[in-house]
Amino acid sequence: MRYLFHFLQKQYIYFLFLALEIFSLALLFNNSKYQNSALNDVSNGIAGSVLNLSSSVSEYFSLLPVNRILADDNAKLHSNRSEAFYKADTASFYHNDTLYKLEYRYISAKVINNSTNKRNNFIMLNKGRMQGIENHMGVIMGDRIVGQVVSLSDHFCWVMSMLNKDCRISGKFKKNNQLVNIEWGGGNYQTGDVKEIPKHVIIHQGDSIITSGNSDIFPEGLLIGTIDHFTIAQEENFNYATIRFATDFNSLSFVEVLIDLMRKEKEDLKNSFKSSEH
Amino acid sequence: MTLIFLRNIGRFIFLILFQVLILNNIQFSGYVNPYFYIYFILLLPFETPPWLLLFSAFILGMSLDTFTNTIGLNAAACVLIAFIRPFVIRMISTGTEFMIGHSPSLRNQGVKWFAYYSIILVLVHHFALFFLEIFRFNELFQTILRVLLSSLFTLLMIFIAEYLSDTAKK
Repeated sequence: MRYLFHFLQKQYIYFLFLALEIFSLALLFNNSKYQNSALNDVSNGIAGSVLNLSSSVSEYFSLLPVNRILADDNAKLHSNRSEAFYKADTASFYHNDTLYKLEYRYISAKVINNSTNKRNNFIMLNKGRMQGIENHMGVIMGDRIVGQVVSLSDHFCWVMSMLNKDCRISGKFKKNNQLVNIEWGGGNYQTGDVKEIPKHVIIHQGDSIITSGNSDIFPEGLLIGTIDHFTIAQEENFNYATIRFATDFNSLSFVEVLIDLMRKEKEDLKNSFKSSEH
Repeated sequence: MTLIFLRNIGRFIFLILFQVLILNNIQFSGYVNPYFYIYFILLLPFETPPWLLLFSAFILGMSLDTFTNTIGLNAAACVLIAFIRPFVIRMISTGTEFMIGHSPSLRNQGVKWFAYYSIILVLVHHFALFFLEIFRFNELFQTILRVLLSSLFTLLMIFIAEYLSDTAKK
């Protein structure tokens, strides 16, 4: 026993090293479990307030493009007002509430931390649980997609941007609705990879890829990007292409979080289907 | 003793903020992400007990991870270099006595010694970090390129910092 203690005392540094290393790696690979813990709330809160402070300074440097985007949005909204329409028949403006049920609500949020140069990039927003944000909500900018909420505290949230190895977006060709998957392979933040394009789809440079609406995260029809260049594979069953993202991830300042008001209903339906399978 | 302690805590906070607020925001290319904050581990005094070395490296890595939502990633890489630091020092030491309370520096240990020391630790750290981050081998070439380019920039910053502190002391 004495020898054992002596041994442990002499070699404690190896054990300490192993313990710390295993602890870090366990946290790294169980990130999703950790993200719901109380410690996470505290650390997100601290990081959030520091990053918030720094972004409130750097915000001033991006006022010009932000104003331009706001002006564009204003113009778009004005053109949607009833005054902007020629009223030939008042009946055409009849709104049926049972037919048009509100499905999505948008919460505007400020980007307080963002990166594009890592292999796995995350964005921090200044909205959190208190503002009604939940995990897995989609984040968009105008009609372009940005990412998905992966971690929350009371006033902040982390968004996994499309520039992440774990991000896989289900998209489709705008012209013929053919489904494809979009991933990001690292490197340049402006281009990503389009995987699994069926052989019979004729690809042209500049084809628009939009969200398919198959995942529960984004509604259908948001712009992901346009085809940059493509390769026709000879021996495989699918062709590949690179996509130029419509979103400029390096200049994000204000984004919108999508709140899917029918998400619970969709999930319930999915779960009931799954449980009936077994 | 207290002075050394306070100076290291100050350096800790400064390097974390510098990394988070400035270096992480620099968009150079997808292949260059300097991680200058490990300068803190390089500069801990020679006689720091190994357990303190490991713990301070762990806390350093964790603090940075909090700001980048990569819990455990930087911590694992930092603990690794804190663990090998004593071995590296023993391996490359030239036999001259290290003074109590002194940190490894370009001025006291010489260019060659300091170059070996920082190159080994920075390369090990960046290798561990980038490979843990991607955790697959099908982007092997890109990842190695990222490791080498980023290490180059980190080392460049470390040497600039050493020369600056050297001239400040004179």
